[in-house]
Parts: sequence; structure tokens; C-alpha cells
Amino acid sequence: MNRIFFPIIQHPMFWVLLFFFFLPLLLPLVGGYTYLGTEVLIWSIFSLGFNILLGYTGLPSFGHGAFFGIGAFVMGIIQLRIFQGIWIPILAGTLGGTLFGALVGLFLAKKRGIYFALLTIAFSQMFWFISWGWDSMTGGEDGLSGIARLPLGIPGVFSIDLKDSLNFYYFVYVLFVLATILIWIVVHSPFGRVLQAIRYNETRTKCIGYNTAIYKWTSFTLSCVFAGLAGALYALLRNAAFSDSMHWTQSGNVVMMVLLGGGMTNFFGPILGACVFIVLRDLFSSVWEHWMLIYGLLFMLVIIFLPEGILGFFKREKRQRDFFASK
Amino acid sequence: MISLAEVASQLLNGLVLGFLYALIALGFMLIIGVMGVINFSHGVLFAWGAYFAFTLRPLMGFWPALLISPLIVGMMGLILEIAVRRSYGKDPLFGLLLTSGSAMALEEIIRMIWGSIGHTFAAPSFASGPLDLGFMPYSKYRLFLAGLSVILILLVWLFLEKTPYGAIIKAGAFDSEMVMALGIDLRKLRTIVFGMGAALAGVAGVIAAPLWSIKPTMGGEAIMPAFVVVVIGGVGSFWGSILGGLIVGIGTSISVMFMPRTSMIIMYVLMAVIILIRPRGIMGEKSILE
Repeated sequence: MNRIFFPIIQHPMFWVLLFFFFLPLLLPLVGGYTYLGTEVLIWSIFSLGFNILLGYTGLPSFGHGAFFGIGAFVMGIIQLRIFQGIWIPILAGTLGGTLFGALVGLFLAKKRGIYFALLTIAFSQMFWFISWGWDSMTGGEDGLSGIARLPLGIPGVFSIDLKDSLNFYYFVYVLFVLATILIWIVVHSPFGRVLQAIRYNETRTKCIGYNTAIYKWTSFTLSCVFAGLAGALYALLRNAAFSDSMHWTQSGNVVMMVLLGGGMTNFFGPILGACVFIVLRDLFSSVWEHWMLIYGLLFMLVIIFLPEGILGFFKREKRQRDFFASK
Repeated sequence: MISLAEVASQLLNGLVLGFLYALIALGFMLIIGVMGVINFSHGVLFAWGAYFAFTLRPLMGFWPALLISPLIVGMMGLILEIAVRRSYGKDPLFGLLLTSGSAMALEEIIRMIWGSIGHTFAAPSFASGPLDLGFMPYSKYRLFLAGLSVILILLVWLFLEKTPYGAIIKAGAFDSEMVMALGIDLRKLRTIVFGMGAALAGVAGVIAAPLWSIKPTMGGEAIMPAFVVVVIGGVGSFWGSILGGLIVGIGTSISVMFMPRTSMIIMYVLMAVIILIRPRGIMGEKSILE
């Protein structure tokens, strides 16, 4: 019993997941609300998945907002037109993000650095334009409204009302737990090691005999799986899907979350980044009409003074202390 | 059926749009080529150029506004460069986030000063109305725009090819360490290139203002083609950017003729096809930027 129990409570993931389990109880104490907690969970799924590509493979994508948005739109379109339900539309949204990601990934698999970044931006803009111009499908400028959080369960046996924000929080929480464990397994698998090798030195990895293009493509597609899932959940949260989700600012937001939390140095960085980011945004946007100004300046300050993110900063401090201690 | 005059006028539109895109992309490409920074603020600097001209024109007339607005935008670029400097030589993501942060902030300042609603900017009186080309009338202002773009592009080319500064800039983009080892202060030069890129965005903003109405989000409309143009033409290639601009401009206007709804998508299709055939763009070479 103890042999299983202790490793679990020693694991940081246990504490992270525990924290989010009790978050809805803590939120009202600090003036927050459940909606905010759900938003943090959804963006955590997105940014953790994105970190497979950015932090572990070292590929700078600046266009993942597109796959997030595709997840949201596919989910909405399926639910409104084809299948009234919750699981199938979420699955469809996830698959939508994945498929388009896999397709775009084909163009990117052999690129790196600036060229990679340029192409991801260009492709995400294309999707944004399509979602914006195709009014009959996506609602164009007004967005796709009427997406419903239909009850979850087996008809006649039991049913959980997801319209209740607390129930929806725990629904998202379960998916968040699954996603986090899955991503943890992926990045700590031999496959994940190869991705890290590509980050450190792609040419050398290639010389050892790995087909890096396939690994990069898989990494890109995997990150789009979680982008699609997060997008579908976000559409449910807002009861609507908007083209805004696909705009480059959203792509920038997820990159910012990963960097801000310290995703380049710590697995849990993106979660911390999502928390800080969303809380700050909520704070600013309620204070000042022109909050985008502070927001933009904050982006610049973080990059200039905190390029390794919050967890990276503490790691740096700790290392220095260790260094002096060993003397 | 589409008449010949209509085809000719759309092709001309495409050419004009192409030169404008090339001008926008040129400043953007210079900054990528020399510093390895994708300048997300390029679009918003373009918008600032237009807004400055909008404010200055009633005070001093069109020509002085056309001259002074880009200079102010260039100076904004010099200030911005102090922040962006930190990201040179690092992962492109840092430059992207820095400049996207400044893009958000600068766009919000536009909203604070001039408001969120759009404004119209009339063509100057000497270039208003149509010009009879013999077989059809065509907008004088568009011809003026194309002519001015060509002149500016040639000036940049002359600067890069025929002056010692241009030689150092190109050498610095190729091997910055070697150039610095030769005792040349690259930092100053990089600042100048950034300012020049910003000024080019500013001037493009002024001359595009009568064509597109002035609004806070006009920067987005300018920078989106710039990405595609640079990818199509090849990163770091001067003539690639010009060629890319023309391809995108003409492609867009031809699609307006046949399928107006797809006109904003067509450049991405062109981009996808071109990078399938030539992965580094039409005139791109294998470089450290990859």
C-alpha cells in the first residue's frame, strides 16, 4: 500500500490535480467565480498540448489559435446541424483540429526556426479568413451561437446537467486530468525523448538515424489534438464559437502562457502560465477600457525581464543558491 | 461575359496592389533578413503612418504629410528597436512575442487617440478622378500609388546595392560575427535597418490610406499579405519580395474577377502550391534562418 501511495503523493502532478479539484471551493474566497476556473482548465489543456511542440520539440508555432478555433467551430457545427449531444461533437471538434493540424503539419515537417514560425502564422491567417468569410457555415462576424451544454448521461438512467457551471467545471476537470496524464506519458516516453533531442540538435538526431520530419509532424499533430479539444470545450463554455479565437492574438496568448509559466523548463509551467494569464486579463479588462495597452506592454516586459517564465526564474535562483551552497 | 477592358482593368488593379504589397513586404523582409526578427508591429506601424497623415494633411497639405509621417513612424521604429534588440539571435518566438505585444499596445493607443471608428482619406486633388488610357479610363491615384511604390522600391535597392552601408547590412545578415570582427558596429546599423523598415511601413500606410479606409485594424490587412509575400518570395531575397508581392496582387485581382468570395484566400493557396514546389520560396536560398 505504502509503496504505491508515497510515490503518488510525492509526485507534483498529484498536487496540481488536487489543487484544481478544490479550486471551485477556493475561488469565491478570493473573489473569483467558477467560469474563470473552467477557463483556466481549458487553456491549460491547450497550452500543455502546445508545449509538446514548443517546449519539448522546440518548434515556434505562432498559429495554434487556428486549430483551437477549428475545434470550436467543428464542435458547434456538428452539434447544431448533425448530432444533438455532447460527446460526439466534442470528439468531432478534437478530430477537426487534429485533421487540419495533420494537413498543415505536412507543409511544416521539414521546416524550423523563423521559416516554421512564418508558415504557421500564414496558415492560421488562412483559416481565420475562411471562418470569417464563410458566414453560411460559421456565422461570419457574428460567430456561431446557440451551442448548448446538453445534459450528460445515459437517457433514462442518469443525467448530469452541464448548464450548471460547477458541474461543467468538473466535466472539464475530468478531461483535463486525462489530458495532463496523457501528455505527461507522451513527453516522458522514448518518443518524447526523441522530440527533446530534436530541440537540442536536429541535425545530430537525424544523423543518429531518426526521421526527424516524421517526429516533428507527429509532435505538431499531437499538439493540435489538444488544441482542438480545448477549442471544443471553449465553445461549450461560451455557448458560442467566434472567429476571434482564430486570430493571431489568440495564438500569441497560448505562446505567452507557456513562456510566462516557464513551460520551457517545467512540465507544469503552462498550467501556471494559464492561471496567471487569465487572472491578469480578467483583472485588467474589468478595470480599464483600454486594457489591451497594459496587456501589450506586459507581453514586452515579460519577454525582456522574465524570458524563462516564472518557474524558470525560480529554478535559476535555486541553481545559484545550490552553487553557492556547494562551495 | 467578361469584357477585355474589364480584364485589363483588373490586371492593372492587380499590378498596383502588387507593388503596394511589395512595398509593405520589403520593410518587413529587411528586418527578418538582417535581424532574424519577425516584426509583428509592421502592420500597426503602417496604420500609424496613415493616421499621422490623416492628422497632418489638413495642417500642411498632402506632400509634406507624405514626407513627415513616415519619418515619425521611422522614429517610432527606432524607439521600438531598443526593446526588440533583446531578442536578436534568440529563438524567433521572443521577437514575435515582443513585437506582437507592441502591436497590441500601439493599436490600442490609436484607439485612444483617434477612436475606434474608421475615417476616409481622399486622394490628393492632382490624382483624383480617372485618367483616359486610350482604351479605358483608369484611376489616377492608383497609377500614382504604383509609380511611387516603384520609385521607393528602387531607392531601397540603390541603398542596398550601391552604398557602403548597404554592403555592410548585407554582409551583416550573412555573417554578423565576421562583420563585427572587422570592427564595424553592427548594433547601430541594425537600429537603422529597423527604423528604415518602420519608415517603409509608414509611407506604405500613407499612400494606401485613400485606397483602404483608415481604421485601427488596418494594420492587420497590411501585414497578412506581407507574411505570404515573404514566404512566396523567399526569406532574405529582395527581388523575391517584389516578385511575391506582384504574384499575390495579381492573383488576388484575378480571383476577384472570377470568384470574388475567394479573393482573400487565393494568396494562401498560391503560397501552399509554391512552397510545395520550392520549399524555400521562389528566390529563397538555404540559410541560417531556416
